[in-house]
Amino acid sequence: MKYIITIVAFIGIALLILLAKAISNSELISGDSFRILLGLNILFICSLIGLIAVQIFRLLQSVKKEITGSRLTLRLVLSFALMGIVPVLIVYLVSVNFLTKSIESWFDVKVESALEGGLTLGQKTIDILMSDIELKGKSIAYSIGNSDPQQRDSLLTDLRAKFGIQDAVIFDQDSIIIGVSSEKNDLIPPIPSIDDLERGAQGFFGRIEEVKDDQIYLKTFTPIIPKSAMSKRLILQLTQPIPPSISNLALSVESVYDEYQQLTYSRNSLKIIYILTLTLVLLLALLSSVAASFVISRRFSSPLAMLADATKQISKGNYKKIIPEQGKDEIGVLIRSFNSMTSQLGEATRNSEQDRKGLEVARTFLETILAHLTTGVIVLDDKKIIRLNNISASIMLINTKIILKNKPMKDVVATNLIFKPIYDFVEAYINNIKINKKEVSQEFKLNQDKQEKTIMLQITPLIDNKGKSYVLVMDDISEVTQSQRHSAWGEVARRLAHEIKNPLTPIQLSAERIQHKFKDKLSKEDSHILERSTNTIVNQVNALKIMVNEFAEYARPPKIQKDKIRIDNLVEEVIDLYEIDKIISVKKDKNIPIIYADQNKLRQVIVNLLENSQDALKKIKNPKIKISIKKKVNEVKLIVEDNGSGIPDEIIGRIFEPYVTSKKTGTGLGLAVVHKIIEEHEGKIKIDRIKKSGTRITITLRAGEI
Amino acid sequence: MDYSMRFFKKNNIIIALTILLLLVIGNVLTLSGEGKIIITDIVVGKKNNLYHLSFNQEVKWDYLIREAIDKGIPLAFKITLKVVKLNDIFPAKTIKKEVRHYQIEYKALRKIYRIYDINEQKYEYKNMDEAIQKMLKIEKFEFSFVDDEINYELWLNVSLERKKLPKPLQVNFFNQTWNMSSGKSIHKIGNLN
Repeated sequence: MKYIITIVAFIGIALLILLAKAISNSELISGDSFRILLGLNILFICSLIGLIAVQIFRLLQSVKKEITGSRLTLRLVLSFALMGIVPVLIVYLVSVNFLTKSIESWFDVKVESALEGGLTLGQKTIDILMSDIELKGKSIAYSIGNSDPQQRDSLLTDLRAKFGIQDAVIFDQDSIIIGVSSEKNDLIPPIPSIDDLERGAQGFFGRIEEVKDDQIYLKTFTPIIPKSAMSKRLILQLTQPIPPSISNLALSVESVYDEYQQLTYSRNSLKIIYILTLTLVLLLALLSSVAASFVISRRFSSPLAMLADATKQISKGNYKKIIPEQGKDEIGVLIRSFNSMTSQLGEATRNSEQDRKGLEVARTFLETILAHLTTGVIVLDDKKIIRLNNISASIMLINTKIILKNKPMKDVVATNLIFKPIYDFVEAYINNIKINKKEVSQEFKLNQDKQEKTIMLQITPLIDNKGKSYVLVMDDISEVTQSQRHSAWGEVARRLAHEIKNPLTPIQLSAERIQHKFKDKLSKEDSHILERSTNTIVNQVNALKIMVNEFAEYARPPKIQKDKIRIDNLVEEVIDLYEIDKIISVKKDKNIPIIYADQNKLRQVIVNLLENSQDALKKIKNPKIKISIKKKVNEVKLIVEDNGSGIPDEIIGRIFEPYVTSKKTGTGLGLAVVHKIIEEHEGKIKIDRIKKSGTRITITLRAGEI
Repeated sequence: MDYSMRFFKKNNIIIALTILLLLVIGNVLTLSGEGKIIITDIVVGKKNNLYHLSFNQEVKWDYLIREAIDKGIPLAFKITLKVVKLNDIFPAKTIKKEVRHYQIEYKALRKIYRIYDINEQKYEYKNMDEAIQKMLKIEKFEFSFVDDEINYELWLNVSLERKKLPKPLQVNFFNQTWNMSSGKSIHKIGNLN
C-alpha cells in the first residue's frame, strides 16, 4: 500500500505541475487537453480520497478486531494528519483571502478613471483633428465647387498642399475618380464603397481607419456642390494620418483600456480559477499529508506492533518469535534487545522444559516402579491425609485398585479394621515424632480371613517445601515367613531323618538276630513272646523308616529335572492307577499347552492330592472328585475339588506346613511336599474351602518353555 | 477473482461514491452549450463547380455576452462545415471539411463595433445590434469537392471559440455563458447540377 500511496503522490505532483504550466499557456488552457488535465487532477484527488477512505476503513476494522498496533497507528495517523491539515488550512485560508483582495485591488477606481480619461482624451484629440479636417474639407470642396473644372486638378493640389492634407481624391457618384492629389505621387487611391460615396454626397461624414503598421487615418467625405445646377455632384475624399505620436498614444491607451475592461469583466473567473488551483493544491497537500501519515504511522507503529505481537506470543509460550531488525535507531536497539531477551528466555525455557521433562520421566519412572511394586507405599502428611499411594497399598488396605489420594488414612483403615494396629502405630509415631527422627520399622501379625498375615511396616519421615510428610512402606512378608518356616522344617526333617535313619537298620537287624538265635532255645511260651516282641520292633522300625523317608523327601534339596509334558495326559495316567476312577471326573480345555516340569514330581503332586481327597471322602455319601485343567494366558491351571469333609478353619492357614493335618493317621507331610514341589516349579498353589463342604486346590503352572 | 469480489463487497459504498463523483465531474467538464445558436435559412448553390453556402443564425444572447462585447472582449465564432457521404454499413465518410471564422469586437477609441466575416472582410458599425445582425448572416461561403453525383449531406456546426476569450474566461468551465454551439445541423445537398 505504501508504494501505491507514493506512486499516487508523484502522479498528483506531476499533474499539478502540468496544471500550473497549462494555466500560463493559452494554447493549452483553451484546448481540450487542459480540460482533460483538470479532470485528471480532480480524478486523481478523488482516487486519493478513495484510497484514504479505504485505508481509514481498514484501520477502523483493524481497531474493531483489536489487531495489535492498530490503535497506535490510528492515533499516529490522527496526529500526523492534524499536524498537516491545520497549517495547510491556515495557509489556504490566508492565501485565498490574500488572492481575492489582491485581484480586487487590481481594479482600482482611480485606475479605471485614469484609463477612461486617457481614452476620452484620445477620442477628443481625434475629434478635434476630425473637426479640423472637416473644416479643411469643406473649404476645399467649396473652392473646387466654385472653380473652373479645367483648373480643378491644380487647385486641388494647391489646396491639399496648403492645408497639409496627405491625400485628396474627387469622385463622382459613380465612383469615378475625377481628380487626385497626394503627397505620394504614385498614389492609386482605393475606391470607396458606394455606401460611403452616397453618404458623402448627402453631407460631410468622416471616420477613423486603421491600416497596417498601427497607423490611424482620418478619412472624410465632403460633398462638392457645383456652381451649375446641371453639373454632377462630386464627393471629396480626404485622407489624413493622425500624427504617430498621437496615434500611438491613443492606440496604446485603447489597448490598455480594453485589457483592463476585459480583466474587470473576467475578474470573477480569475478568482475562481486561482481559487480552484489553490484548492487543488490544498487538497493534494492535505490528502498527500493524510496518505503520508498512513505510511509514516505504519512505519512507526509497525515495529511496535511487532513488539507487542511478539510479547503476546511470548506470553503464550512461543519463544521462537524473532522480529526483523529495523535500522540503527532506538527502535532498532529495542528490537535487538528484545530479540536477545527472547532468545535467552527461549533458551532458559528450553532448559526448564528439559528439566521438567526429566522430572516427568523420573516421576513416571517412580510411579511405574511404585505401581509394579508388590510393596505398599503410602505418603502421609502430618494430618495423616494420604498424599500418595501405589496400587499395592490400595489392594493391601481395601483390596481394590482405587487410588486413595487426599483421603484420611483413618477413614481408609475404618473399612478394614485388621489394619487398625498399623494405623495406631503410625498415629502414635506421627504424634510423637521429633525433628530428624529416624525411620522406624515394625512387624505386624494380622489375621485376615482366618489366615495369618505378616506385614512389615517401615516409616520414614520427609521434610519438604510443603511441610512434613511420612513415607509408609508396607511389605506383606507372609510368604517369606512361611518360606522361612518351611526351610526350618526342612532342616529339622533332614537332621531328624539323618539321626533317626542310621540306627534303624542295626535295630531291625538286631531284633531279627535275637529272634533267630533265641527262638529255638526258649520255651514255646517265651519263644512266642520273643517273636511278638521282635516282630513289633521290626514293624515299628519299618514304620519309622517310612516316616523318615517321607521326612527325607520333604527335606531333600531342590533337584528337579524338567521336561516337556502335557499335564492332562499325566492326570489321566495317574487316575488310571486308582480303582476309584468312577468318582473322578475330568474336565479339560482344548489344546492344553505343554509345560516344562519334572514329570515324577508332578505325578507325586497329583497322587498326594488324590489321596488326600480320597481320605476326605471316607464316610461321605455320593463322593466326587472333580479335576479341571484350564488353559489361561501363558498359564495352565489344575484344579482338584472334592466334596469331602473339608479342612477345619483353625489349620487352613497353615495347611502347607509339615505336621499340620486334619487326619488322625496322616504324617501331615503330603500337602507340605505338594507345596514344596509347586514352589520348585515357580508355580502357585491355593487352597479354598467350598461353602457347604469340600476343598478346592488350585495349582497354577507356567505354560511353555521356562 | 475471489479477492476482487471481496474487495467490491467490502468497498461498495466507496465505489458507488467514486462513480457518482466521476459522473458529476464528467458532466461539468463536458457541457457543450448546444442549442444556443440556431442555424436557419440554409441555402446551397452551385456555380462553376463551386458551391455557395449561405445561412442565417439566431443566437440566444446572454446579457453577459453583450456586456463582454462592450468591455472590448472579442467574440470569435467558428463554422465547421463537413460534406459527408453516407454509407449504410460504415460510418459516414467526410469528403470535405472547411473551417471558417467570424468575429465581433468593440473598439473603444472610436466607439465602433468591428465585424470580420468568414472571408476576413472588415465591417464597422456604431450600433451593436446592426453589427451582430451583419455578423450572423453568413454569405459567400464557398467550397468545392469532387462531386460524383451522389447525394451528400452537409454537416454544419457553429460554436463560440473559447480559446480566443481571455484566459480566465477560458478556464472557468463552470460558467455556461461561454458554451455556445449550434450542434450538428444537417442539410441534404442533393443534385445541384
